[in-house]
Amino acid sequence: MKKIILSLAVVLVSLVSMAQKPEYMQAMGETLGGFSTCKNVEDFQALGNKFEMIANAEKGEWLPLYYHAECYILMSFVELSDPEKKDGYLDVAGKSIEKLLTMVPGEAEIYALQAFYFTGRLVVNPMERGQEFGQLTGQATGKALAIDPTNPRAKMMQLQMNIGSAPFMGVDPKSFCPQAKELLANWDNFKPKSAIHPNWGKDQVEGIVKGCE
Amino acid sequence: MKRAILFISLCFLGLTTFSQTIISGKVTQINGEPMPGTNAFLSGTYDGGSANKNGEFKFKTTKTGEYILKVEFVGYESFSRKVELKGDSIRVNVQLKEAFNQLNAVTITAGTFEAGDKRQAVTITPLDMMTTAGAAGDVYGALQSLPGTTTVGESGRLFVKGGESEESQTYIDGSLVTVPYQSSAPNMGARGRFNPFMFKGTVFSTGGYSAEYGQALSSVLLLNTNDMPAEDQIDLSFLSIGLEFAGTKKWNNGAVTGTLSYHNLAPYMNLAPQNYNWSRAPESTSAAISFRQKTGKTGLFKFYSSFDNDGFTVQQIHPGSGVIPVDYKLANGNQFMNVSWNGNLGEKWTMNASGSFTNNQDDIHFEQTKGAKNIQGIFLKNVFSYPISERFSLKFGGEFVRKAYSQNAQIQNEIHDNNFANQSFSGFTEAQIYASSKFVTRVGGRVEYSDYLQRFNFSPRFSAAYKITGKSQFSLAYGWFYQNPLDDYLLYTNQLKPERADHYTFSFQSSANSRTIRAELFYKEYKDLVKLNGNQFYLPSSYNNSGTGYAKGFDLFWRDKKTIQNGDYWISYSYLDTKRNYRNFPVEAVPTFASKHNLAVVYKHWFGGMRSYAGVNLKYSSPRVYNNPNSTVFNGEKMLPYRSLDVSWSFLYRQNIIIYGAVTNIAGTKNEFGRSYGITPDESGIYPGTAIQPSSNRFFVLACFITLTRKGNANQMEKIE
Repeated sequence: MKKIILSLAVVLVSLVSMAQKPEYMQAMGETLGGFSTCKNVEDFQALGNKFEMIANAEKGEWLPLYYHAECYILMSFVELSDPEKKDGYLDVAGKSIEKLLTMVPGEAEIYALQAFYFTGRLVVNPMERGQEFGQLTGQATGKALAIDPTNPRAKMMQLQMNIGSAPFMGVDPKSFCPQAKELLANWDNFKPKSAIHPNWGKDQVEGIVKGCE
Repeated sequence: MKRAILFISLCFLGLTTFSQTIISGKVTQINGEPMPGTNAFLSGTYDGGSANKNGEFKFKTTKTGEYILKVEFVGYESFSRKVELKGDSIRVNVQLKEAFNQLNAVTITAGTFEAGDKRQAVTITPLDMMTTAGAAGDVYGALQSLPGTTTVGESGRLFVKGGESEESQTYIDGSLVTVPYQSSAPNMGARGRFNPFMFKGTVFSTGGYSAEYGQALSSVLLLNTNDMPAEDQIDLSFLSIGLEFAGTKKWNNGAVTGTLSYHNLAPYMNLAPQNYNWSRAPESTSAAISFRQKTGKTGLFKFYSSFDNDGFTVQQIHPGSGVIPVDYKLANGNQFMNVSWNGNLGEKWTMNASGSFTNNQDDIHFEQTKGAKNIQGIFLKNVFSYPISERFSLKFGGEFVRKAYSQNAQIQNEIHDNNFANQSFSGFTEAQIYASSKFVTRVGGRVEYSDYLQRFNFSPRFSAAYKITGKSQFSLAYGWFYQNPLDDYLLYTNQLKPERADHYTFSFQSSANSRTIRAELFYKEYKDLVKLNGNQFYLPSSYNNSGTGYAKGFDLFWRDKKTIQNGDYWISYSYLDTKRNYRNFPVEAVPTFASKHNLAVVYKHWFGGMRSYAGVNLKYSSPRVYNNPNSTVFNGEKMLPYRSLDVSWSFLYRQNIIIYGAVTNIAGTKNEFGRSYGITPDESGIYPGTAIQPSSNRFFVLACFITLTRKGNANQMEKIE
């Protein structure tokens, strides 16, 4: 009973706070729509700029900053050639994540994003960074799942890490297929707290499952 | 009613669209280059836009009144200006200035090889040091594939830019390591005492280093130990030459690691042909413990302590004892302790406090001679740093060093007891000034006082770096460097001055796209070197500081991780021209430890399909000189060049099991380090001599590393050497 009241209260509070900011919700909604059309570094940077602008206007909200960091992590993946540029984008993402961790310390989504960020660092130079950032990614997903065992993005990060390191470890990457299929099947069971809360990652899991066939 | 409201609000909407302001502009850098991707927006609103590839931005806003336009780009100082929104269009052209940020600013690279930074631009990483074939897991061995070093096989120690091995000092977490090498028999290569896997980063400076470091004429090697381990783990290592066991336990803010190891070369030496007869193969036992604890928000306390015992008996032909080999027996005991704390004091100050203690005992026995040597070292240092502004920081500190050396030799019935103790007090200060993110200078000075020699000295240090483009830069370094004379001289006299070397280093470095090129020119002038009068070693009153010398040359380094897929290689070449007139030299001559040409080619390749990392290393040092007392020319003979082709193979058998094999000098090329001669001639007036050979032509090692963790996915990848 107490739990129900608590969760009701949480829902109410968030609804109220959102109802008070229809402009914020609208701006976020529109900007989030931009993800679907991003193709290159410039697109993601422009989108990241918008989130930065919103973050600047709404200093108490963590979501704009979250997406700002996500844009810069994605930029590091989209940038193909220059490892220094990749690290430069990740530096920006890392700063936003640090800020997020002090803003909302117990939020599973932020640790899941941090895992994504560490994976980005690893990908810049797997040979030299594999050991260190593999461990850091594992720690971040571990923290996310400890807070919310159902978080699908944390599960996906863990899965990607396992598949990525499989060839180095003498494990067949396909041995993770059942896990991937299960994650995809249950993906929609996770309900984001609002329309603008993180809800990405299904495409990536679909990609993994596709690779299994 | 509802309709009316809708209508009114539509009108209102229409009205607001009508009073729309268009804000546009062009963003450029100071040099006029457009800045695409820049964020331009009205502060506190959701209205803004990004600049296109020509640096042009344009956005609409329905807001009216006074607002602040902000133009921002990562790494640049942000621009803001008040704008009055009245429904017309506004154009604002903006020039953004690069923000000053020490992380992106130029750094001084003259003489310095830094490892451990996560940055791509860094030339050598710790993993490189470990995966370099031929290093055989030795820190110093790995450094010998870098420019500025000469391979001196009969010593195994570091010889940098025409300097002797004693001119290089090793520091761990800020503290001096008084005895960094294991004890070895005369003319046999020594290895470093420390396991390379202890360290997360290294700085190898081959000249022109900071005023923080004294008592080194040629180079300093700064080793930084690992911070907090990630998780509990147990490491088991089985080598063809020994066993190692390490366990780590972690808690919230601290961790402890214990290591035990036992090495015995007897089984290996029975299998592989040796150039010497070993009555007792090298055997060593060691135990170490390290402890880490976070203190407060920023502080980290580290403690490390180790106990080593090793010994061997080798048959060597001793000059003067004819051609029959005699037993040379050595037993060594070494205790080392290292403590450090670093962290912030208040908002701005940072403090690094460190200390070390060494007790090293060598007992040597050959023929009728018994010798015991004991070195005790105490080192204390405290360094404060204070950033006066973002561009100007100050560092200062003090250091206390005590070294006690005693030597006891018993030759038949004669007993010689000698000892000395020196205490040095030093202070240093250094300022780092950034004129811009492109230009930095570092100016410092160091004062030392030695109570044994009763002498003060002052060493100025200066270095600067200038970035020409984002990828390329010039650096230079200059300084005076002092070091007390060799312990073996100080045993007999304190009537000497510290020796001195002046360094001039000029270097160029450019790195882009995983490729680095480096070129360095250097000149070193040696002054006040100890000189003996004739061969009167036992007449300390004849020692003076009239010795001189010079070393000059250049280093080239090329590293490419890009061209060959899954491959990574570097080429290092050093040219060295050096002469000295010191110690027992009758004339100015090339010293025996100098090679004119030094080349190292290191190649590593990852074979994904085989889950293997392979390494090949080729080394060449041109013939060095040695002295033949039967010849009239001092240091007039040339030894064979040093050549070695080394290979290594690491195979990831399971995620936590690595199998490793390596062969040094796989071709078995004959290497010889000159000849050693008797002190007195035989009946026919000729000094008898024997060739100095390495202990074996080839060396191989096989190993299996197993890591056990709760999760079971960590491995000792870093252990692949």
